[in-house]
Amino acid sequence: MITTMEEKPHVPAAPRRKKFPGWAVGMISVAGAVALLSVTSYMTNFPQLTSSGTTQTAVRLMLPILLAGLGGLWAERAGVVNIGLEGMMIMGTWGAAWAGYQWGPWAALVSAVVFGALGGLLHAIATVTFGVNHIVSGVAINLLGAGLTKYLSTLVFFPLSHNPRQSPPVQPFDTYSAAGFADWLGELESGQRLFISDVAGILRGLVTGVSPLTMLTILLVPLSYYLLWRTRFGLRLRSVGENPHAADSLGVKVYFHKYVAVIVSGGLAGLGGAALVLNPGQLSYLEGQTGGRGFIGLAAMIFGNWRPGGLLGGAALFGYADGLQLRSGGDTVLALVYGVVILLGVIVVYQLIKRKWFSAAAAIVVAVLLYLLYISLDEIPGEFVSYAPHMVTLAVLAVASQRLRMPAADGVVYRRG
Amino acid sequence: MSSSTSVRTDDPPAVVLTGITKRFPGVVANSDVHLTVRRGEVHALCGENGAGKSTLMKILYGMQPPDEGTIEVNGEQVRFRTPSDAIKAGIGMVHQHFMLADNLTVQENVVLGAEALHGIGQKARKRIIELSGRTGLNVDPGVLVEQLGVADRQRVEILKVLYRGAKVIILDEPTAVLVPQEVNELFDTVRGMQAQGYTFLFISHKLDEVRAIADSVTVIRRGTTVGSADPKTVSSRQLAEMMVGSELPSPETRESTVTDTVVLDVKGLKLLTPDGSRPILDDIDLVVRSGEVVGIAGVEGNGQTELVETIMGMRKAGSGTITLQGNDLTKLGTLARREAGIGYIPEDRHRHGLLLTQPLWYNRILGYQTRKPASKGIWLDTDGAKKDTERIVTEFDVRTPGIDVPAAALSGGNQQKLVVGRELSGDPVLLIASHPTRGVDVGAQALIWDEIKRARAAGLAVLLISADLDELIGLSDTIKVMLRGRLVADADPSTVTPEDLGSAMTGAGSTSAAVQETAVVEEGEN
Repeated sequence: MITTMEEKPHVPAAPRRKKFPGWAVGMISVAGAVALLSVTSYMTNFPQLTSSGTTQTAVRLMLPILLAGLGGLWAERAGVVNIGLEGMMIMGTWGAAWAGYQWGPWAALVSAVVFGALGGLLHAIATVTFGVNHIVSGVAINLLGAGLTKYLSTLVFFPLSHNPRQSPPVQPFDTYSAAGFADWLGELESGQRLFISDVAGILRGLVTGVSPLTMLTILLVPLSYYLLWRTRFGLRLRSVGENPHAADSLGVKVYFHKYVAVIVSGGLAGLGGAALVLNPGQLSYLEGQTGGRGFIGLAAMIFGNWRPGGLLGGAALFGYADGLQLRSGGDTVLALVYGVVILLGVIVVYQLIKRKWFSAAAAIVVAVLLYLLYISLDEIPGEFVSYAPHMVTLAVLAVASQRLRMPAADGVVYRRG
Repeated sequence: MSSSTSVRTDDPPAVVLTGITKRFPGVVANSDVHLTVRRGEVHALCGENGAGKSTLMKILYGMQPPDEGTIEVNGEQVRFRTPSDAIKAGIGMVHQHFMLADNLTVQENVVLGAEALHGIGQKARKRIIELSGRTGLNVDPGVLVEQLGVADRQRVEILKVLYRGAKVIILDEPTAVLVPQEVNELFDTVRGMQAQGYTFLFISHKLDEVRAIADSVTVIRRGTTVGSADPKTVSSRQLAEMMVGSELPSPETRESTVTDTVVLDVKGLKLLTPDGSRPILDDIDLVVRSGEVVGIAGVEGNGQTELVETIMGMRKAGSGTITLQGNDLTKLGTLARREAGIGYIPEDRHRHGLLLTQPLWYNRILGYQTRKPASKGIWLDTDGAKKDTERIVTEFDVRTPGIDVPAAALSGGNQQKLVVGRELSGDPVLLIASHPTRGVDVGAQALIWDEIKRARAAGLAVLLISADLDELIGLSDTIKVMLRGRLVADADPSTVTPEDLGSAMTGAGSTSAAVQETAVVEEGEN
């Protein structure tokens, strides 16, 4: 006799219990990152790693990446791959500069959103209505964005700035600082105590020189989460990205939601362009200003597993790498390599505990190579330093892309019927 | 049928379709269709694939407008422009291919598009739990759909329809993805809901099931209704002949052609899950001889797919050997295995068998890119491929306007005939057929059965995996039952019944002498 089996063939799996809720994972990651940086800065004697100045720059540079990433999130959650973020961002920079030098920063924001959204609209028309391959359309928009702004700059900016590659200066936002609090943090920071000074430095960077755009952008993260995950509209938008046929069969207007998502996506990317133009270090449109940040934003979104919280983490990481190289130069970036070695050490221990021998071995090899690099160089050559964010993007995506879950119908052209 | 008392004849019928005609460029999908569904009954709509059932249901569900004809619901004439119009009129549809987003929760899938009813929060959750009972669904609404089995997904589909307040529920081939036991559960659900006053339109070409569940039957053939029947008096054979309009094929093979020549010899085959935690295939020993059809029965997800893919080299075996005519294949890649003489009809022709957007002759080359007639040396021989595609189209009766149309333009049955024709060319010694007639019409089914039988008579060894137990019993010389990655029992196709096989498949044990447990299991389980 066959003995009776202990279960039926299709017993539904028990609900997957997450060990930690998302916000807790976020807090733990932040604490871990701060601890890592503080140990690194202590060991290598580079207080710049966690100084308020670095943090402040990092936040400013994070904004465009974060906004581009949010743009990517909106589009891809509705199932449209938006590789045209870069082009929409470029259009945003031009729009921001054009309105900004005439009517001030708020007008710059609005104009950037409109210009970016126009790019998004074009992408939506191509991909949703005409079923063009999303990548093809995105690449076309990147080329178009660069070409169009070049033309418009020559036409509009050249007579004013006598430089076809640059706009007249744009009026910046007023910035705000939490004065008393920041001073107190400043004292703590200069105390040079392990961890406390580092935390103080980072916090001080976060509360000093905050522009309305920074606040707006940070607010957009929870707002996007709320809209996409907690409202009826968001549910419909996500369902379109997961299974448009199912959504359509339930009376969800698939094309409409895709259009909205891609236009919002473009608007956000455009806003990211404005964040570049209104960055206190530049304050004008410059040709080639975006420097691939649209793509990095997309990478931040992928790193964040198509979720707003993770995306914020990715953007912070890339912004930090960018800020560090701009502010401090090659020797500090080299100190960061030391930090990576420490991080890899932690990963090795973790993998060994989990008995993943191959991963552990790979991590050891990389760690040793990086450590050799660290002790054999005085500083990273300037040519490489400016590519630090790109390197970080590459490394992070190579490691992190293993267990990601993209929307099921992402990049799939949907035809009704 | 016990509940047929709930059919009320004095009320206006739930749904009346009159003179529905729908034309697509080049074809008439429906012409002058008449259908009357009384309130509270289970009404079956039978027809071959391609007969126009799906189009008709799309029209009733508002997905396509009819060119001519009228729809009446509860005695009132209606016009549906979108599915939401149909939903408002109380008509709901459970699609054959589940319309669920795997990465959303049960609750999200249910409320999607009907958020106006109870929002998307706690109120909706309460309502869903309330309705779950009626469908026999017993999971938390917060679970992701991807974690559910097939039967539960179907319940979620029914739940979606109930949540919207549907009174008339269209079930489009609901049993295609279920094993017999699950079918019974579904039928219990249907009867229970019928007793609560729901009306069902049950679309199927599985006639035994139609007779088991339906109160009345309408048969559709070549786009038009050819008649109605009383399921209590009509036989499956009569119904089928109404559907096809002629005599019927059967999978039955007559005399045995089994020889002593071992073609495929699998020994001790093991395969682990990607994370290495548990075996998907556990110590499989399997022999297929020349002229023999070995059938594998099993509930889907018990390792049949993996077994086939491991034999084909699409998955790497953990241990064990695979030998074809004395040649060890274990270390070879898929192409080399195919070249060694394995033909392969994949279970999902869209994922593995065809490039849907490419022309037929292009699909002919797939898997034969190194062999005649599709290749000459290092160059592809497009002329040869086209010529041979023409041959397959004629010999296997692939109904197509030409060999340059994309594969997607063909119906499922014709696509499958193309695949079968391709895999039987080039003189294979072993054919692995995974669900060879799944989702194809009766005509294509008969042809595929005939071709497999003919090849078997010519000495081909066949490994057959099928969820259609009649097919399995009819075609096979030996049946093996697969459960949780192991071959747990042998059955004799000349005496075994689908019910016996069904209970052996779920591991419930069998009382039939036709099913004999293999010794391994007893040792393993005791």
